[in-house]
Amino acid sequence: MALSFSTTNKFLLNNQQILRSVLILSVRYKQRGHIADHLVEHHRQSALGKLKNGAAVDAFPPKDDTTKDLRTTPHDFKYVYPDFLPNPIPYLRDRILEKLERKDMFRRRQQIDIPEFYVGSILAVTSADPYAPNRRHRFVGICIQRERHGLKHQFTLRNIVDGLGVEISYELYNPTITKIEVLKLERRLDENLAYLRDAPPEYCTFPFDMEPVKLPPGAGVPLNTIQVPITSTHWQYKWERHDLKGILLPSLPRSVRKAAERFGEPWRQWDIMRQYRTEIHDDDKAEIYEDIEKHKEDLAQYRIDSKENVKITRARPKAAGRKAILDNSNRSNMSTSK
Amino acid sequence: MNRALQTVCTRLFTRPLLNLSSSSILPSTAVGINFIPCAWIRREKLTDQQMRLRYKKLHWHKFYDDKWVQRRGGGWDEKITPENVSFMQEIVYETYANKDSPLKDGPWQRGKFTIDPETIRTGVLGLKLGTLPQWDKRGRKFYVTLVQIIDNHVINYTPPEMINFRTLFTTRPLRRDLHGKVGMLVVGALSCDPRKFTRGYNGLFEQAGVPPKRKLTRFFITPNSAIKPGTPLYATHFRCGDYVDVQARSIDYGFQGVMRRYGFRGGPSDKYGSTKFHRKRGTIGSGRKHKVLPGTRMAGFMGNKLVMMKGLKIWRINTKYNVLYLMGPSVPGPNHGYIRIQDSTLYERKKMFTETNHPPFPTYYPDDNKSKSLDEELFADDIYRFDQPTLTLDDIQVAPLTAPRTAAKTAQKKK
Repeated sequence: MALSFSTTNKFLLNNQQILRSVLILSVRYKQRGHIADHLVEHHRQSALGKLKNGAAVDAFPPKDDTTKDLRTTPHDFKYVYPDFLPNPIPYLRDRILEKLERKDMFRRRQQIDIPEFYVGSILAVTSADPYAPNRRHRFVGICIQRERHGLKHQFTLRNIVDGLGVEISYELYNPTITKIEVLKLERRLDENLAYLRDAPPEYCTFPFDMEPVKLPPGAGVPLNTIQVPITSTHWQYKWERHDLKGILLPSLPRSVRKAAERFGEPWRQWDIMRQYRTEIHDDDKAEIYEDIEKHKEDLAQYRIDSKENVKITRARPKAAGRKAILDNSNRSNMSTSK
Repeated sequence: MNRALQTVCTRLFTRPLLNLSSSSILPSTAVGINFIPCAWIRREKLTDQQMRLRYKKLHWHKFYDDKWVQRRGGGWDEKITPENVSFMQEIVYETYANKDSPLKDGPWQRGKFTIDPETIRTGVLGLKLGTLPQWDKRGRKFYVTLVQIIDNHVINYTPPEMINFRTLFTTRPLRRDLHGKVGMLVVGALSCDPRKFTRGYNGLFEQAGVPPKRKLTRFFITPNSAIKPGTPLYATHFRCGDYVDVQARSIDYGFQGVMRRYGFRGGPSDKYGSTKFHRKRGTIGSGRKHKVLPGTRMAGFMGNKLVMMKGLKIWRINTKYNVLYLMGPSVPGPNHGYIRIQDSTLYERKKMFTETNHPPFPTYYPDDNKSKSLDEELFADDIYRFDQPTLTLDDIQVAPLTAPRTAAKTAQKKK
């Protein structure tokens, strides 16, 4: 039976949690009352099904076999839009499910601007809270991790408030989130910064009134190569056993170091099958990216339409800005010089 | 049931039934039309509870009935050339394209939705796709299961007079008060190539004029909700905000121990010196009774049996792909598993249907609504649609934590 233990928390070493987090990876061979995955698609697009008087099948024509130009799909779109990539486990994949999920995600993205951010960026999230003053709750923190796929995508922000470490986990598509601002866009050397819990507090303290840091236009996402020292006496997880680049380990006893070598998996960087299993097929990625491009066009149109609805009436003519005055003076100078 | 008894029963029950109206010989204690005048079987009077337990224990693993026609046919290599393969596919397509649909003469006359003699509509056969999160208007998250209804057609209808309930092989025996009053409707899903099946199985679909189906299921309905064979069934057979009962074969976990199967706590780990007692059941005895009681929970095969969930709300319907969004993530079965969906039989939910407010009866016909086109997506009232603006929760009144003090009390305090 392909029961496996959930692998979302890769630092997990607690047996109790392993017992509870059991995930079904594939259907047992003796399971009855289901059909194979390829047959589902076959029936959705079968000509026999469409024959009889509007039978309930996919109204779209089947996917054409022309290979999409994969060069148009940028290879880094999985980092920019990690929530759009579905769970790579084949048992959980379904074309119609993903399509309907993406529709909802695009609709939500029309209502609120969900910016591009990475683990290590500093965000400010404002959510609607009926118990807070002004009915809005604003939290600033560094993004420690981004997990789950699709509408369930979550990100965790960490900050130290009044000497106490606070982590809040937000669902990206929760309708009560009113605003997500990226105060500082940057990346770190690791995908999961849970080690900040065992680091000195100055590494995760960010003032709530922090000013957004503006990057020059056209610049790439800066990489922060900071190495965080781990000074706490008790560590939550055994950081030396995981290949973390962004930490500065203190001097460890020889036995600990030997154990870390045993648990380390240096062959992982050459493990192609593992890489294949964590990613989905390129054709599916191309389909998703097409939808994202279409959404961007729709978004531009939606913004124009919504702006037209809101008419701004000016009582007085707009005062000339600094640029206009300079232009005028320049023009007068030029004319006089000529 | 043991084999001998079964064969005896089939032989007895397939002979023509007595015409009750004409004969006056039979005693007045006869129950409906299915009175079996055979003493040694009548002696076996089992209560409903006992019947349910007996069927639950014995028959859940039986996948077919000997009285059914042989289904699987073909499958051998007929050594057809590639050109002929496509030619055969075209022929198959054309036979069904040219076949006269029984709906040419129009559907059967519609019955009337009645409350007093209760009305039971058909159900629908769907395919479980997976789960998604959704939010309600107060910002609370819940999970929904998507179920797609692909290619459903009504295959056959048997009126109540022709049904013999004693012979019907059911894992969930039907309510006694409905015996003799309900007809049987056979619904099929997922059209297939007839070359996969035997001639007998393909013959079942002659009357309906549809290609043979991969999966068949039966629904017991009142005669006023009979539907003509050949009618397609859609997701709009239900309405948003209605409640449904769902039946499916649960996920197969194989042979599992008592901790996973029943949630027993087991024993301590080796850390506390526990000797050979970590995941065991413990004692099986029960005091002075010198036997193990029937029904004692032990290790065994878990899952892969029919499970019913009642009262699931339909939050959304997608009419383009025929997808229902049902409440909860725990609809039984694996992904891409068959699901039987019917109107809920819960008392409070049945009360919600009245003569004027009821779902499309007997089913949704697209011709009814030709004037106005159907929306692609239908929503229940209290779900948050993603094209609505952000939920600000401004209208939610929050009770203050401390009660406001009266003037007298504050005056006392000042003193």
